[in-house]
Amino acid sequence: MSGARAASAATWMLGGLVGLCIVAMLGLLLFTLGSGLRSLWPDTVERLVLVDGSVLLAEIVDQDADALLLRSSESGRIGEGYERVRRDAIRARSEPADAFAVGFADGRRVFGSGDEDALAAAVQAVDPPARVTEVVRPNALDVVARAGMFARRLAAFVATPPHASNLAGGVLPALVGTVTLVLLMSVLVMPFGVATAVYLHQRRGVGAQVVRTAIDTLAGVPAIVYGVLGLGLFVHGIGAGIDRWFYAARLPVPTFGGGGLLWAALTLALLTLPVVVVSVEQGLARIPAALRDGSLALGATHEETVWRLLLPAARPAVLTGFVLAIARAAGSVAPLMLVGMVKLAPASPMDGTFPYLHPSRQFMHLGFAVYDAALASADAIRGVPRAYACAMLLVCVVIVLNLAAILLRNRLRDRYRAFGS
Amino acid sequence: MPLNPVTCESLFASDAIRASSRRRARRARLQRLAVTAGAAFVLLGLLAIPLYLIAAVAASRAPVGVDWPRLGVLFAGSLRATACAIAIALPLGFATAMFSAHFCAPRLRAWLKPALEMLEAIPTVVLGLVAATSFAPWLKTHVATLLALMVALPSLLLAAGFAFGRPSRHDGWLPLTTLPLLCAAVAGGLWLSNRLDATLIVPASPWNATLVGLALGIAALPLVFSVAEDALFLVPRDQIQAAFALGATRWQALTTVLLPAAGAGLFAAAVLGVGRCFGETMIVLMASGNTPVGGMDPLIGLRALGADIALGLPDAAPASAVWRDLLVATLALLASTVLLSLAARAVRVRLRHRLHVAVPA
Repeated sequence: MSGARAASAATWMLGGLVGLCIVAMLGLLLFTLGSGLRSLWPDTVERLVLVDGSVLLAEIVDQDADALLLRSSESGRIGEGYERVRRDAIRARSEPADAFAVGFADGRRVFGSGDEDALAAAVQAVDPPARVTEVVRPNALDVVARAGMFARRLAAFVATPPHASNLAGGVLPALVGTVTLVLLMSVLVMPFGVATAVYLHQRRGVGAQVVRTAIDTLAGVPAIVYGVLGLGLFVHGIGAGIDRWFYAARLPVPTFGGGGLLWAALTLALLTLPVVVVSVEQGLARIPAALRDGSLALGATHEETVWRLLLPAARPAVLTGFVLAIARAAGSVAPLMLVGMVKLAPASPMDGTFPYLHPSRQFMHLGFAVYDAALASADAIRGVPRAYACAMLLVCVVIVLNLAAILLRNRLRDRYRAFGS
Repeated sequence: MPLNPVTCESLFASDAIRASSRRRARRARLQRLAVTAGAAFVLLGLLAIPLYLIAAVAASRAPVGVDWPRLGVLFAGSLRATACAIAIALPLGFATAMFSAHFCAPRLRAWLKPALEMLEAIPTVVLGLVAATSFAPWLKTHVATLLALMVALPSLLLAAGFAFGRPSRHDGWLPLTTLPLLCAAVAGGLWLSNRLDATLIVPASPWNATLVGLALGIAALPLVFSVAEDALFLVPRDQIQAAFALGATRWQALTTVLLPAAGAGLFAAAVLGVGRCFGETMIVLMASGNTPVGGMDPLIGLRALGADIALGLPDAAPASAVWRDLLVATLALLASTVLLSLAARAVRVRLRHRLHVAVPA
């Protein structure tokens, strides 16, 4: 009897630990998404009367047991309005309905209260002048109006370029850079990945053994090592060589001899190769043998069977590999820190001038925006929420891609259930 | 002319058919060539990494030798982060894998596996962000709480199972049915630790090996889980059913049939997890403080190989001594992870072989 009890106690422990994993995962996801969304939600503007009689209009950005951290008007430069006020130095706190907050294009925020004239005066008093991007009276807004405001901010965050060395504005160039990079990467990786998978599917010799071991080993190599290879071999080796041969007139300004989109895409292509190969090969292996035997019996060669029958039938698996590779590439930042990812790129790698895609240009990346805003920004109080907003976008992109891959895989499974029975 | 029924000679003698078969053979040769070239490129890609690193290090003409003591400190830093991470990832990963492969209700398992694989897809830069900016300030004053929770939660579950648990067919849903208990325990523990207001263990820095280990452990958990789960699930069902038929309980089947049969796979999962933690860059870069200090104290900061490369290489001049040292660090990283993954592969191949032999044809 006590044996059964011990067994069920152990079962409870295993089950509970599984529950713990689920909770931790959901908690992590919700925390990231929540913090990202929270950073775009309009804050209230508070009016504080201090013990010494002075009056402050400010947003409360942080608080602990005995002090508040305030952001008051920044009419001169960004980041000058932070103030730490002890709780016992505050005589009264209120949220006046006529308080307004003005956001400027360079990231500064100015607070005030009063009618339209006061607002105009506050905008006039800003030195140096800047374009006004947002005027809110947050305390007067109800929840619906705040949600509308929030939606507009979210749209602006996704669709405008950054200002003030990545402290204000949106992340459009980083989004475009990430998408361009992963698309170029997938164009490079897919042919090699599919060819390798077909090779592994067809051959059973020493060659296949060696290639399989190579794929397994590549999957275990840390991402940063690929970055070192990209910087040392692609940028300083091949890129500098191309410059000497074809762009000698522009030296010492590097064309391909500096970090750029092409080298980053090549590096990521090597990194994601195992994902594509494994996925496509599993898809090929899952196709019932009867299908292949039928094709061979009708007189098709092995090659015709693979290209006309097996690969088209394994199309969902190829798509799954494609999507998983994109998700892996979108989330890997470490190798890109070495090959051409920059905080602020002077020009987008994709634009309207011929040849539209510029593989030698440097680019911005969402993942690097997260790292940069969180740890390397001049204003940590603005930087960390901004990092969470970028992280939210990145997580959304990656999760949507992975869900797509899972759905595709399930479709493949369903399609061949009929053949298997 | 009589038609030879075996070779159908006169049928194939037609020019059109002969041309078509020549064309098809040519196309087949071409496709075979393309496929082989693709595979060769993959091999080339793998070989390029060590060859380039060795050639670049050998070609370096830097006047000073490699700074081995510093490299040793970095290596020790990576090891310390890995040790802390493995202490979290292995128990949780194995427990999750065992439950999912042997106890879990099929409908729950269909959700659990993709969900944990999704966790693997969360970019490590996001984990690093959460660890460095949100979890570090909490952990600074709550190391003791964390340790207490790590001990208390499993023992609480054990005690609850001993008191209330009966083997039943609903055991497969335990992860969900124990959730209220877990949440209550965690919330109670946090409330208690806030009330006590006494910091028992004070880390030397808010960014320390414990924090890195926690984040790295969460990052490595899905990999350990999925490899271990595959190994456990690969064990032929008839062996387990034979154990049941001989009167074994679920736990007896697990410990006497499943675990010995999948032992090599579990070992491979552990080794791959170690490799993953050892080479991870973004989390250690963001959450470790990047201070090159040695020793095995989990409460002080560290600087890992990957983070050092990511921080140093963009600013190092090619062919300088710093550049050469960083390439040596990369080589060390590459060698350790390749050895680990080759070991894991050898073990897994042997396991598959043995299980395959064990299955009656």
